[in-house]
Amino acid sequence: MEITLLAFAASSDSFGFSSRKVSCSADDTPLTIVQRIAPEVNISSLRVALDCEFVTWETPIADARELAFIPPVSGG
Amino acid sequence: MHLEIHFTAESIVIPSCSLPSKEVGALVEFHGIVRELEDNKALPGLFYEAYEPMARRVLKRHLLELGTLHPCQAVHFIHRTGWVPVGEASLYICVMSAHRGEALRFLADSIDRLKLDVPIWKRTTRPSKD
Repeated sequence: MEITLLAFAASSDSFGFSSRKVSCSADDTPLTIVQRIAPEVNISSLRVALDCEFVTWETPIADARELAFIPPVSGG
Repeated sequence: MHLEIHFTAESIVIPSCSLPSKEVGALVEFHGIVRELEDNKALPGLFYEAYEPMARRVLKRHLLELGTLHPCQAVHFIHRTGWVPVGEASLYICVMSAHRGEALRFLADSIDRLKLDVPIWKRTTRPSKD
């Protein structure tokens, strides 16, 4: 299966993309995916969302279609 | 509560504020304007980026919850995306309620919630393309 990774704001600089598809399995987690594709990226300030809902780094992605990396927000 | 959430890459056009009922006694508007100085450095503007589907979902959840805390009749929320020059509004919120207290509290809390976890970001420079 495939999942679309979305990197926003400063995280797109860290990951080097704003959108990218990667192969994965249902029991992958956001953490295992990052460790596989970009182990050098510091994720300490990032949150993650699966299909537009915040989750933990250890949440299995199951059948999610989008994984978003969410840096600290600054709207307004 | 009537709720509208919009994102626009164009200058914000203030919606016509037709009153949802004759029981509206307070209409409070907020314009968030891009300032020139950021950390004592003059900037020409700010670049706003949003994860729109999630921003709508998270924001809607917050605003509906605030509607139970501070009952209001209508809320219009508009946020710019893309480049916003200094002096232009990046954010517009209009809250209508029966009394001023609910509208003012709703407005203040909605901005606090916006800055809590709604996935919108501003940058001082335009991002480079992938």
